[in-house]
Amino acid sequence: MMLEKTKDIARQILEEKKAGGVFGLMKNEWNIIQPHLFEDPAELANLVLEPKWLLAKLAMRILRSSPENYKLAVICRGCDERALIELIKRNQIEKENLLTVGIACSQEQAAICLCERPYPEKLDAGEKVSGVDPFQDERVQKFLTGNDKERMERWADMLKRCIKCYGCRNACPICICDPCKLEDDVWVQRGVVPTETVTFHLIRAFHLSDTCVACGACQEACPVNIPLLYLQLSMRKTLREKYGYEAGIDPETRSPVLSSVFEKPDTDREYPAWINSLGEKDES
Amino acid sequence: MNPEFIKTICPYCGTGCGLIIKVENGVAVATYPDREHPVSRGSLCIKGWSAHEFINHPDRLTSPLLRKGDTFQEIPWDEAIPMAASKLRETAAKYGGDSIGGLSSAKCTNEENYLFQKLIRMAFKTNNVDHCARLCHAPTTVAMVQALGSGAMTNSISDLAGAGCIFAIGSNTAESHPIIMGEIYKAADKGATIIAVDPRETAVTRNAKIHLRINPGTDIPLLCGMMRHIIDEGLHNEDFIRERMEGFENLNEFLQLWPVKRAAEECGIDEEIIRNVAEIYAKAKESAIIYCMGITQHACGTANVLTICDLAMLCGHVGTEHSGIYPLRGQNNVQGACDMGALPNVYPGYQSVSDSAIQDKFQNAWGSTLSDKPGLTVTEIIGLAGKNIRAAYIMAENPALSDPDTNHVLESLKAFDFLIVQDIFLTETAKFAHLIFPSSCFAEKSGTYTNTERRFQLLRKAADPPGNAKEDFEILCLLGKALDLDFSYKNSSEVMDEIASLAPAYGGICFDRLERKGLQWPCPDSEHPGTQYLHKDRFTRGKGLFVIPEHTPPKELPDESYPYYLGTGRMFSHYHTGTMTRRSSFLNREVEEAYAEINPEDAAHLNVKDGEKIKITTRRGSIITTARITKRVSKGYIFAPFHFTEARANMLTNPVLDPGSKIPEFKVCAADVRKESQDG
Ligand code: SF4
Ligand code: SF4
Ligand code: SF4
Ligand code: SF4
Repeated sequence: MMLEKTKDIARQILEEKKAGGVFGLMKNEWNIIQPHLFEDPAELANLVLEPKWLLAKLAMRILRSSPENYKLAVICRGCDERALIELIKRNQIEKENLLTVGIACSQEQAAICLCERPYPEKLDAGEKVSGVDPFQDERVQKFLTGNDKERMERWADMLKRCIKCYGCRNACPICICDPCKLEDDVWVQRGVVPTETVTFHLIRAFHLSDTCVACGACQEACPVNIPLLYLQLSMRKTLREKYGYEAGIDPETRSPVLSSVFEKPDTDREYPAWINSLGEKDES
Repeated sequence: MNPEFIKTICPYCGTGCGLIIKVENGVAVATYPDREHPVSRGSLCIKGWSAHEFINHPDRLTSPLLRKGDTFQEIPWDEAIPMAASKLRETAAKYGGDSIGGLSSAKCTNEENYLFQKLIRMAFKTNNVDHCARLCHAPTTVAMVQALGSGAMTNSISDLAGAGCIFAIGSNTAESHPIIMGEIYKAADKGATIIAVDPRETAVTRNAKIHLRINPGTDIPLLCGMMRHIIDEGLHNEDFIRERMEGFENLNEFLQLWPVKRAAEECGIDEEIIRNVAEIYAKAKESAIIYCMGITQHACGTANVLTICDLAMLCGHVGTEHSGIYPLRGQNNVQGACDMGALPNVYPGYQSVSDSAIQDKFQNAWGSTLSDKPGLTVTEIIGLAGKNIRAAYIMAENPALSDPDTNHVLESLKAFDFLIVQDIFLTETAKFAHLIFPSSCFAEKSGTYTNTERRFQLLRKAADPPGNAKEDFEILCLLGKALDLDFSYKNSSEVMDEIASLAPAYGGICFDRLERKGLQWPCPDSEHPGTQYLHKDRFTRGKGLFVIPEHTPPKELPDESYPYYLGTGRMFSHYHTGTMTRRSSFLNREVEEAYAEINPEDAAHLNVKDGEKIKITTRRGSIITTARITKRVSKGYIFAPFHFTEARANMLTNPVLDPGSKIPEFKVCAADVRKESQDG
């Protein structure tokens, strides 16, 4: 049902030339499933929706290497939509060039992902199921409860497994800085594994604190099963509880982290000069 | 525009992870993990993520090259192929077919390896064909065939996650097979005890519950001490031994020589710890043993592997889903190159060249007479250059960096009357060639690779080879035809069908069945689903055999003139001879220059600071490299990765061979270290 509907919408987009291509998953003649840019409606017979496969970053790359007016439609789950919205906010994608075809996730998928919103805001095919509260999950609790020392030990134990594949960075749809701080000798020593826990992992986590859409791609890409998503969850929670902010929900609301740095601060706090990694150009 | 995404297999290690290559305008521009892959399931290590980087490197060879004095001149294929054929023919006519040697490649596909050995065997009636498995898992093949009947890893990678105890000995899994390390952690998260044995400290030993930092080359004493304790405590699996094993009495008697006390002294580990790990290994419901080059690259490599088999079988830890013996294969297709008979003593499917029924089968199938005399190994082919071996054909191997005692290898490479090298870059070995064939890398060909868990996997072509370079498959067909062989294959799928018809273990394998998950051999017929783990109710050889291991200490131990142990190995961002990884910017930025690890105490004694130059000397030669001071190595031990052409660790290594398998002793030799004065 959901698949047929998605195919119909995609076909319409291509036939009416609303976009140059529809980006989704294809099952080919070998039964192999992989991302594919559908440009010919006839190919849509091979469109599939499973498995979960984050497409936002790949879609961004396609848009960025395309002619300026090329329009792309992306078949999105909730997390993909949220990631695309964040990429628009970060000026990585022109809003006008992007169409989304929103699909709903199953209850099982939501449970696997510990997902609070297993659907996109713009839902085109499928039925919404309810979200999961990750903080009720035992595995999450194990890492986010206990005193500082216990938590530190638990995390240190996990993080020392890191084999420095950079998969968490590469897979994250919103981890896009160039140059990347993880490739800066000041923070991350070259040529050794495991990496320095604090700099490598916490830089990555903090850089995404207010953009993370909890898609779980980082954790899914981690070959050594470090629960990287859990690191982000508590920051997301704080932003929601303290600032009423959630990344990826609408393209207009700016992150409180950004606005408190760039907009007039409400106190006389001074910010150290090195806080310029958010893209502000140094005037000097 | 229109990027295409092509699913294929990682070209680096034997884990065989799934990659998706992104192709823009015919050029491979990025690599992504394959979320559906049965082994890697959406993860990759740093090498996998960077696999596209070397493909479009400007150093790629784009035309056949002919030596003119000290330089090379580009020539067209229609000159290169006939020239190669006539030179090889002339040599064979003058000195006999056994004067030709062929080195096949663990980087090439199964089909290419099959064609390579077929070409050498048919055209020259010689079995002088081998490849770099000789330098990594030759002892595995010899020992496991003797003890179990099959030289392959017994279980599947994903089976590890269910083990109750994982005993990793001589394997730096986290750096050399990173995706497999993930399975070890899965087991640990479910409560398995991880035990690591390694003279060095590695990411594996740091994350293990117990680390046994044994003296280099004392694996047999450790394992024998453990077995002795297991028997003394009655922890051996008597039912298993009674029903499925032979030779227990001999083993038991032999182990009288190895009380735990003696074992403890030899390997420098407390008796109590040896007893403890023996008990953990024996008592766990299912225990798996992982081993790698730390076991095989010794002059007693075969005996080391036999001891591992003895331990596993003593406890009945073979033949079930989550137990088993895991020799982790190094190269992406080293399993396949062995399977395809790129070995001097067997045809494809490990069928002996000396067995007359087998010989008949292949003579009939190929329509050619064939030699029943086992051929020479890699080290022999190189060592006899200019003597018994007058001409050689080397496909994608780099002995100038990979083989022990480089100075001697370099002399040998000069001594061939005619040397053909087929590769994607002008490797250190290719520089010695008379004729070079430019070939294609993993992303430019179709075919199959077989990973360390015996899984045939389909490689799909993402881009064309650069310039006039050709697929190895096509080069082999052209050369075969020029040598009057019937090599009129249309594609590699046809070759796979021929392989299936000749090697029963792969009888059911064809491209159409490989689809997205591949197939694990044995897969004897087209209905067979493939085999997750071996030796289930019966060993391949019938009963399992306890073989008495002969403990020989390393052939060269530290002495007054050469007071340090030297070992070689790999590190996480480079691969083997560095041909590909050192041309991948992201990998090379991790480590740009050669280094060797040295313990802080030794460094202080030598007055060397981190990053300063040191000179390492052995009886074979010396290299100058950069000191990396670290407690990862114990006092008295130097570790040198072998990826670096500017400081070739194999200049230093000892070419003594393990008598059973002829593997050289890369892991231990005696060395001297000096501070290299900065000014000269
Ligand atoms: S994170 Fe949520 S939206 Fe994304 S795949 Fe999982 S359940 Fe669906
Ligand atoms: S869950 Fe991980 S991959 Fe997804 S947005 Fe957050 S940090 Fe990035
Ligand atoms: S994905 Fe996991 S192993 Fe890879 S760099 Fe990130 S944390 Fe480390
Ligand atoms: S583990 Fe091996 S096969 Fe997998 S990505 Fe790394 S190098 Fe490639």
